[in-house]
Parts: sequence; C-alpha cells; structure tokens
Amino acid sequence: MKNQMWRNDLLAGMFLLPFFLIYVVFTIFPIFKGLQMSFYDWSLIEQGAFAGFSQYTALFTDPGFWQSLWNTTLFVILSTPGMIILALVLALLANINAGPKLRTFLRGSYFIPSILSVSVISYIAIFMLQPYSGIVNNMLNTFGYEGQVYWLANPALAWLSIVGVTLWWTVGFNFILFLTSLQNIPDMFYEAAEIDGATRWQMFKNITLPQLIPISRVIFLLQVLASFKVFAQILLITDGGPGKSTRPLIQYIYEMGFEQYDLGYAAAMSYVLFFILLIFSVIQIRSGGQGRMI
Amino acid sequence: MSQSGNTLLQRNRDPYLRIKILIGIVLSGVFLFPIIWMIFVSVKPEDMSITDPLNWFLPPYTLSNYASVMAESDVLLWLFNSAFVGFATTIITLIVTSLAAFAISKIKFRFRRSIFLFFLAGMMVPGEATIIPLFEIVKSMNLLDSYTALILPMTASPIGVIILKSFFDGVPDELMESAKIDGCSHWRLYWNIVLPLAKPALGAIAIFTFIGSWNNFLWPFLAIVSEELYTLPIGIPSFNSTYSTTYMLPMTVNAIASLPVIIAFLIFEKQIVKGVSFTGIKG
Repeated sequence: MKNQMWRNDLLAGMFLLPFFLIYVVFTIFPIFKGLQMSFYDWSLIEQGAFAGFSQYTALFTDPGFWQSLWNTTLFVILSTPGMIILALVLALLANINAGPKLRTFLRGSYFIPSILSVSVISYIAIFMLQPYSGIVNNMLNTFGYEGQVYWLANPALAWLSIVGVTLWWTVGFNFILFLTSLQNIPDMFYEAAEIDGATRWQMFKNITLPQLIPISRVIFLLQVLASFKVFAQILLITDGGPGKSTRPLIQYIYEMGFEQYDLGYAAAMSYVLFFILLIFSVIQIRSGGQGRMI
Repeated sequence: MSQSGNTLLQRNRDPYLRIKILIGIVLSGVFLFPIIWMIFVSVKPEDMSITDPLNWFLPPYTLSNYASVMAESDVLLWLFNSAFVGFATTIITLIVTSLAAFAISKIKFRFRRSIFLFFLAGMMVPGEATIIPLFEIVKSMNLLDSYTALILPMTASPIGVIILKSFFDGVPDELMESAKIDGCSHWRLYWNIVLPLAKPALGAIAIFTFIGSWNNFLWPFLAIVSEELYTLPIGIPSFNSTYSTTYMLPMTVNAIASLPVIIAFLIFEKQIVKGVSFTGIKG
C-alpha cells in the first residue's frame, strides 16, 4: 500500500516536472526577484547597494510616476465603456436573423482586426492619420473641411486616436464573448414571452439584457485588466507624446529600466502595477471569471 | 445550437431588420477599411503622391513594392522567426501543460490539491508586472538574445493546465481502469486515450498560445538585440519608422506580415471563435 503511494508520487512527479520547472523559474521566481530588486540600487550591469525603501519613497514624489499612472488610468476610463457598449452592439447586429452567410461575414469582419499584430495596426494608424497625405485628412478635405487635423500632435486628439485605434483593434474579443452568450440564451424564454404577448423591446429588456449580465461582469473585469497593461500601441503611435501626455506606466517603467539603467526603480514601480493588477485579478476570479469555464 | 427556433420566431416580427442589416454592413466596412486600404497601398507605385481618397484604390497597380521590401528589409526572416517561435511555443506549451494536467487529474498522489492551487495562483501573476525581474533572471542564465529566451518563459501557462484538467476530469475513471487492466501504462493512457479525447481543448489552447506569441511585443522588445532574431512585431517598427511620407513600402511590410494570419483566420475561423469564447482570454 505504502509502496503504491510512493510509486504514484514518483509517477506524478515525472508528469509534473517539465511544467513545474518552467513555471517556478519564469513565473514564480520573478515575483520574489522583483521584490529583492526593488530594495536595491540595481543597474543594467550589476547589483548595487541595499537601498531599503528609498525607491518606494522616491516613487511617491516622482511626477513622472504619477503622470504615467494617471495616463494608464485615463486610458482605462476612456476605453472601457466603448469596449463594452460597442462589443454589445456588434454582437446584437451579428446575431440578426439574416441568414448564416451574412452573419459569418459580419462576425469575421468585426473580429479580424484582433488577429493583426500591434505593430501592423499602429503603422496603419500612423499613416492613415498623417496631416496632408493621410487618408483620414484626405477624406475630411473631400467632405469640405479645409485644413489639416494634426491627430497625434495634440493631447486630446492623441488620446482620441489611441482609444479609437485600440477599440477597432481589440473590441473583437469582447464581441465574441457577447455573441456566444447571446446565442446560448434558450429559445424557450422568447417563445414563452411571445405566447404572453410581449413586444420585441420588452423581450430585449426583460430577457436578453438580464441574461447578459454575468458575461458583462466578466468582460468588464477582463477589459480593465487588459487595459491597465496598455503599452505597445501607445509606444508605437505617439511614443508617449505629445510631451509626456500619453505615456503609460509600462512605458515609464521601460524608460527607467532600459534608458536610465535604473532597474531597481523600475522593479519598484512594477511592484505597484503588480498589486493594482492583482486586486483586479482576485476580484475577477472571485466573481467566477475564468472559473465559469472550469 | 439554439438559433433555429429564434430565427423562426423573430423573422416575422422584426420591423427594423433591414436597417439593422444596413448598419451591420456599414460597420463591417469601417472595420475592414484600414485593412483593405493597407493592401491597396501595398500595390500602388512607390513614388505616387495621393491626395484624392479614391486614388488610393484606383489603378495603376504594381507588385514591385513586394520585391523592393524583400530586398531592402528582412521581412521574410522576421516572418520565419515569428512562425518558428510561435510553433515552438505552442508545441512546448501543449506538451508541458497536458502532462501536468494529466498528473493532477488522473494520478492519485500526495499534495495533489496543493500543487493544483499553486498552479492556479499563477493565473493572477500579470506577466507585464514581472518583466523586469524576468529580464534579470534570463540574463543571469545567459539566455538573453536567443530563441530559447523568446520561447521558454512563455510556455508555462496555468490557464492551459486548468482547462485541460477540467477536460481530463471528464474522462471516466472506468475507461482508465479497464485500460490499466489491459496492461496500459500511464504514459499510454495519457497518449492514446486521454489526449485524443481532449482535442477541442488542445485546439483552443494551441490557437491562443500561437496568437499570443505571434503578437507578443514587450518581451521580445526587451530580450532581443540581434537583428537576425527579430520577430515581426519588433522588425516592422525598425523598418517602418524610417519612413514618414512614402506609404507604399511600410504598408507592403504590413501586408506581408498580415496576409498569413488573415488567410489562417479565414480557414480556421470557426475554431478561433470557439477558442475565444471557450477560454475567455484577452490578447
């Protein structure tokens, strides 16, 4: 009996070992390594002296940190409502009763930008938005606007551009989640409502919307988590500009670590980001986020 | 699925159906427009300057941009690197996550629950927030600037283990027992019985791992210095950022990078859509 137990332990160990090693070295260990780094002066070349809490206290008085944290938060605030409402509208449109061909076409066209690389979508955006030669300005001119819109040179317009491009690029994921859950609403709900003489609007309000509430909660939390990690498209489209007005936290962490060679400070800021994201992750898992699939 | 009844029910009654179809199609035009524009620009003569929007789409066309881009940039090498890293990451992920999930689901060993919880915890670790220490760790292992650096850290996916474990749990123990009586080892149970039954889950994880790797920007951006290791997301900006007024070559690079995934999407659309709704993972 005891022998059998040992054999099972050994066997399980062999099955677990490859994943376990990679997971511990590249996922778990960095959490502790990051904590250690945040307490040291740490350049790109070498580990320096123990710095205590000085990086964390420095962070509180660093306007660059606060501005980039605010920019990331602003991006979350600006993009989340659109990411959810547009996704829902697209899902309702792609679920209309107009034959499978049209539905497949609509579904494909709303989702297809999501599979493109961030570098591709960023350079499409940069070139489309150029003054004088970009097609967006060309079209504005054709429709009678005389002048050039400098989309990426003014903070408000730069934010509008970044949020708009991100919406176009990634709303497809939320759209698919809404669409699937729309199609999973049992028909009998609608049949019963029809027998009771409900109008279409009443059915939408009293059946469709309430049935979508659980998935909306999941989408909201996943969206906030994803948006807090915003980096690449902003780096490529505006490089954080004009000035520092669109620079997100991850870009500031990158600049501190790899341009100012202050990895210790970058690690300390990463830890702040870590805790913000951890809070949302815990809320999401508690509210049954990915758990619904398990 | 449940749509057929729905269709019958609503077709007779929706007074706005035509308007909805129209809005749906207009919006699909908006979503497709930048992609279509990119492809048209890639076949316009290189030195043309365009101010009338229609001229972006009207002839003359040429394929010479494709030849110049392949001569002047390493786009084919980036394409190869992205594909190689993507496939390697996907295959290793499938192997290590399915082995681990099999142990947790089908072998009765001590600490089974604690190990599973330990893996679950990884779902809460945001990779972006641990990228600085990850860089230090990979550096101290002398792995920076290598394919290994691009591939290995991305393969231990806790979500993969969780999805596969729940799938394996659905394989009845009686099936396992009878196979054991027939003299099947655990390895053969894993390979011949459990894995084939989990194909849908493996497919979903494969699609997600591949798309994630294909689009990964931050990690290769930090871990790679040598140009011969650039993947598409890193290579494209290195080429495109040198252009600002001529559009044709940058859009040709974009098109070369995008056409393979667009074609793959058209072939695997059903599986991809299922994969998204199945895992709920965001890019």
